[in-house]
Amino acid sequence: MTVRAPTLIAAVVLAAFALAAGLWFDQSRPAATSVESSPVTPLLGITLPDPDGKDQAIAQWKGKILVVNFWATWCAPCREEMPMFMRLQEAQRGKGVQFVGIAVDNADKVRQYASDLKLNYPTLIGGFGAMELSKSLGISVMALPFTVIVDRSGKVAHTQLGPLKEDQLLSILRQLA
Amino acid sequence: MPRPGRRELAFLAGAIVIATAASAQTAGGPKLLPADQAFKLSARALDAKSVEVRFNVADGYYLYRDKLRFKIEPAPVAAGAPALPPGKPHKDEFFGESITYRGLLVVKLPIAGAKPGQAVTLIADSQGCADAGVCYPPQTQRVELTLPVAGAGASITVEATPPRKDYFK
Repeated sequence: MTVRAPTLIAAVVLAAFALAAGLWFDQSRPAATSVESSPVTPLLGITLPDPDGKDQAIAQWKGKILVVNFWATWCAPCREEMPMFMRLQEAQRGKGVQFVGIAVDNADKVRQYASDLKLNYPTLIGGFGAMELSKSLGISVMALPFTVIVDRSGKVAHTQLGPLKEDQLLSILRQLA
Repeated sequence: MPRPGRRELAFLAGAIVIATAASAQTAGGPKLLPADQAFKLSARALDAKSVEVRFNVADGYYLYRDKLRFKIEPAPVAAGAPALPPGKPHKDEFFGESITYRGLLVVKLPIAGAKPGQAVTLIADSQGCADAGVCYPPQTQRVELTLPVAGAGASITVEATPPRKDYFK
C-alpha cells in the first residue's frame, strides 16, 4: 500500500487535532484518560426541555455536524450572532449541519424571543445546569455566548467563548463536512 | 520527495498537538476573568442605618445599572432605595440605550430595622459584560457585615464571600 505524503500529513494533522481536542477536554477531569479514545462530548448525553416543556435529547442530532450555542435573551452579543446562525442553518441544512441553541434563560422569554426572531433551529432551556455544562466542556469562565461544534462522530471539534465570525464558522464547517 | 520517517511524523504530530493545545484557549475566544473577579464586590457598614457597597469593575468590563438589586438580611432588617450614581450611557443594537458602570462603583444603601452591633448579610444581584463580546449570567454576591455599635466609626471593608450562583430566582 502506498500512502502519499500529503495524505499522510493530512491524516497526522487530523489525528493531532483530535488528540488536542481530547487533551483539552480532559483538563477538567482529575484522572487522565487515554488520548487515543477522546471521548464523545457529554453534550450528547443530555436531555433538556424545549420552551414548551417537552424533553429533547441532544443525541437525536447525533451523526450531524452540531453547532451548539449557549445564549440568553439578556446577552446582547448572543443576540447579535443569532441571525448569522439562522442564515447558515438555512444554507447548510442539506450538508447535515444542525444548529441547536441552549438558553441560559427562562422558558417564557426564550419562547417569545425565538418567535419574534422566527428562529429556524431548535433551542432548549438550559438554565444553571447549562452553565455548569459549559464548564465541563473546557471553558473555565462561565460567560455567553459560548459555542461548541461537534463533529459527526460526536467529538468536540471546536469550542468558542464569545461570538463566532461567519468566515471562521464556515471554515470549521467546511473542514468537518 | 523522500517519505517522512516514523520519527519525523511522531515529532510533527507532537509539535502540532502542543501548538494546538497552546493556542486552543486563545483561538477559541478571549481570555476572561471569572464574574466575581471582573465585578469585585465589597462593602462596609457606615453605621447601623447605612451600608456602603463597592463594585470594583475590572478594565474592559461593565455592569448594567438596571440589573443591580440589593437586599439586607435577616428580616426585619431591610434595605432602602440605593443611591445609584448616574453612570454612563451604553448603546447596543438590541437593548438601545442603557446605563452602565465601569471602574469603581460606590453605592450608599440605607438600611432599616437593624440594631447597632448586629450581624447582617448584604446580598447584591448584578449582571455585566466584557468589551470582548461576552456577557456573564446574573450573579448574586454576599457580604457578611457587622454593624458598628453606637458611637463607633464605620466597619472595616469586607470582601464578598466566594460566590454562590443563583442565576434564576
